[in-house]
Amino acid sequence: MNDFNRNRFVEFGLRFYIFLSFLFVFAPIAASFVFSFNSDRFPSIPLGSFSTEWYVAVASDPLVWAGLRNTLFVGLIVAVISTALGFGAAYTDFRYRFFGKSAYLALALLPPTIPVVILGLAMLAFLSRINLSGQSISVIIAHIVICSPFAMAITRLRLSQMDPDLEAAAWNLGASEWAAMRYVIVPFAAPAIFGALFITMAVSFDEFAVAWFVSGLNETLPVKVLGFLQGQVSPRINAIGTFVFVISMTLVIFAQLLLTGGAKDAQSASND
Amino acid sequence: MRRSVSLYGLTFSLPMLIWQLLFFVAPLVFLIALSFWTVKNFRMEADFDTINWVTMYGRWVFWQSYGLTLALATAACVITSILAFPCSYAIAFKLSARQQQLAIFMMVIPFFTSYLVRVYSWQIFLSDNGIINGVLGAVGMGPFPMLNTVFATMIGYLTLTFPLVVLLQLFSLMFIDRTLIEAAHNLRCGRIRTVFAVVIPSARVGLVIAALFCFILSFGDFVSPLYLGGGDPTTLSILITDTTKSGQQWPRAAVIALTMIATLLAVAFAAVGFAYKGRTK
Amino acid sequence: MTGMIRPSAGFTRRTLLATGAAALAMPMLGRRANAQTTELTMLAWYGHAEPDMVAEFEAENNVKFVPKYYTGGDNMMGLISQSPPGTFDLILSDAEYVQALNAAGYVEELDPADYALDDYFPEFQNFPGNWQDGKLFSMITRFGFLGVAYNTDALTAAEAANYNVFWDPKLTGKVGHFDWHLPNLGQLSLLNGNVNPYDIDEAAWGALKEKTMTLRPQIGGFFDYGGTFSSLNDGQMLAFCGIGDWITGVLRKNGAKVDSVIPEQGGLQWSECFSIGKGSAKAELAKKWIQYITSAKGQAKSAQMAAYPALIPNQKGWDVLQAENPDEAKRQGMTKDAGNAMDMIRAGRIKYREWPIQQDLGTWNDFWSEYKGS
Repeated sequence: MNDFNRNRFVEFGLRFYIFLSFLFVFAPIAASFVFSFNSDRFPSIPLGSFSTEWYVAVASDPLVWAGLRNTLFVGLIVAVISTALGFGAAYTDFRYRFFGKSAYLALALLPPTIPVVILGLAMLAFLSRINLSGQSISVIIAHIVICSPFAMAITRLRLSQMDPDLEAAAWNLGASEWAAMRYVIVPFAAPAIFGALFITMAVSFDEFAVAWFVSGLNETLPVKVLGFLQGQVSPRINAIGTFVFVISMTLVIFAQLLLTGGAKDAQSASND
Repeated sequence: MRRSVSLYGLTFSLPMLIWQLLFFVAPLVFLIALSFWTVKNFRMEADFDTINWVTMYGRWVFWQSYGLTLALATAACVITSILAFPCSYAIAFKLSARQQQLAIFMMVIPFFTSYLVRVYSWQIFLSDNGIINGVLGAVGMGPFPMLNTVFATMIGYLTLTFPLVVLLQLFSLMFIDRTLIEAAHNLRCGRIRTVFAVVIPSARVGLVIAALFCFILSFGDFVSPLYLGGGDPTTLSILITDTTKSGQQWPRAAVIALTMIATLLAVAFAAVGFAYKGRTK
Repeated sequence: MTGMIRPSAGFTRRTLLATGAAALAMPMLGRRANAQTTELTMLAWYGHAEPDMVAEFEAENNVKFVPKYYTGGDNMMGLISQSPPGTFDLILSDAEYVQALNAAGYVEELDPADYALDDYFPEFQNFPGNWQDGKLFSMITRFGFLGVAYNTDALTAAEAANYNVFWDPKLTGKVGHFDWHLPNLGQLSLLNGNVNPYDIDEAAWGALKEKTMTLRPQIGGFFDYGGTFSSLNDGQMLAFCGIGDWITGVLRKNGAKVDSVIPEQGGLQWSECFSIGKGSAKAELAKKWIQYITSAKGQAKSAQMAAYPALIPNQKGWDVLQAENPDEAKRQGMTKDAGNAMDMIRAGRIKYREWPIQQDLGTWNDFWSEYKGS
């Protein structure tokens, strides 16, 4: 970056703004963490005494563990399949023109527009008739429907930054379509693909309304949280929230370490 | 662009199509059919009656709710976009590569916390005896009523969409051709002018998509208006739940849902069209 | 250097994902393998299948309860209507919905001889909604009263003992509604002097609507279950319409300064009933549970449920509760003293909450939406 237009106050102001933004985003998370150790059942100021009873209650509830397993299992599968479907659709939109393309796009982008309570009931009505309701696979199916539009939008955004001639250039240089995909498109879209994986997993992780309907008795964790929020208001909610957060952060950190290891090498390679 | 149908092309286009046809179109068609069913004695009966549409569209409560939800969602997407922009701008242009990665990583974290839990936590901040009023009280101000107001609902919408909007805006801003900015500076463009004349138009796609997602999420959300807004005003999402309390009136609720879907679809198409306008790709 | 790192990073990434997926899949398979204990599914409000309620029964009968908690009667019905028959062995629902469940054929018939009906107070032995054409389909297991819920720092019990307190200027913006038309309109109907709050003619219905509209400026918000808890606990709302001890009892147990009182105009009664889901494969075991929860011992447990307390219809259950937890018995009014819960019912101060009789349910609900939107 050049030095023209650098003003110390503006720099400081912008960095401070970033700090404020993170403060806003993390304030409720931090508060939730603090209150998960509060002895009082209902959160209020001033705080009660320090207590880990809620964590004990949560950790000793086998249904919470089952919910967590379901959520992770569902989330991982949903992330992978949604990203794959979304990528395919984004690439199709990027490259092809065909009759019915608008309808295709509408179909791909429609799901997030549907109010979740209604979608939940409709999906249950449909899945129960084909004997696929009340299980983890039901949640997976429903979540892929909901999440793949996100993956598609993110990937499409990234592809729009690519010069389409790059692909044609690859073909001219003798690459097959598959090879061009593998060596030109996918590496370029890689940040979007990883972004889509995370976001779709996160969306699935937190989705409770549709899951309440279709998961039946094999509930996911967000459904349990909804139940707690609506019935057993207590710091258990905060304890579960922190629990899930720590576990998912561990996964994300692992993934980031592995990925940035590869990405940094790619970056340093391209800088050479 | 090639037009011929090839195995290659189909491999990418078909999976999404098949999946949505199998698992989405059927429920959607069911939803449309449901809006024509009637309810007698707590039982839904398959029927073809337009009474639900006529009744629902004839109620002023529905249109008031529709207008309010539209206004709230628009306000949310404008406010969020404006508030997020300095943050995403700063991350894109003022941080080093490593700091950027850290910032992105931290922005992704909220996605893995429960939105419900975060909204629940905001109540502690915003209530009359809450944290913010406590701090203000210590310096002799307030207490200001913040909970159960539209202000609190907006905070809720921000909680839901701010990280996503920042990330999507960032995605576009990060990949702007820096030489364009340099050129503007070389042509003696001031800081602000560069932002409005070069940066924003270049990142238009990301900015519009980010705003669109914010709009869609806020339009359909029921958690913030209910838990932070005190159920007042009645947004369409709350109205759907309310309608079912007329004794299993899912058909009427379906009418509301279909109207919401049509609205969002129209907005989405308009927005996407505007975003990608003038581009060949 | 880069060439050496990348392949190995890919290797560990792949293996990590693979082992992770395998590790996650294992517990899913393992869960079904433990089929020694029988699973009993229950569809209910939150708390009915928690350890404080079911641990004893589970231990004695080698059973594991799998609950599905709902947050509204209509969600419950929607769920049942779209689920395969036999999904739910036990269904707990509000009395109003029991009739709907029955009409739609979602519950099994019960044999009255199986249950300790004789131990019940006479008023509950023929509880409407449990019976249809002389046949029994559900058993009422708990009930409670709805009146004025208030913050004890802001109002005295005497002030709160009148629905007109909701209009008090010092409560402007501090009155909350539990967001359901039925209990709220029922209470205001009592205020208007209707003998049966839900059986009113068109003139009375018009008067009720008018009276209700005048309350709108006082209202601070419309809350669901969780929101009601928070608002009262935080002191955000100082009075609540449409609820009773089932909320304030829990809050009091946790130190909040709230209480409920039945005002001079009378209160409403909510009731919960258990039934057996139609097509349940474990009807025998489900029956055993209902027998347990309607027995004196089970009833005393029910009264002290951690999620929300309730009154119980079994006379012998009252005796057990007085012995086990005299303070709670006294607090709820399940003692032999004058003015106890049954006395209030017999004095005519309590009316059942039920679907409106002369108007359509939709009519009441539509008005409620208009009230909220005004």
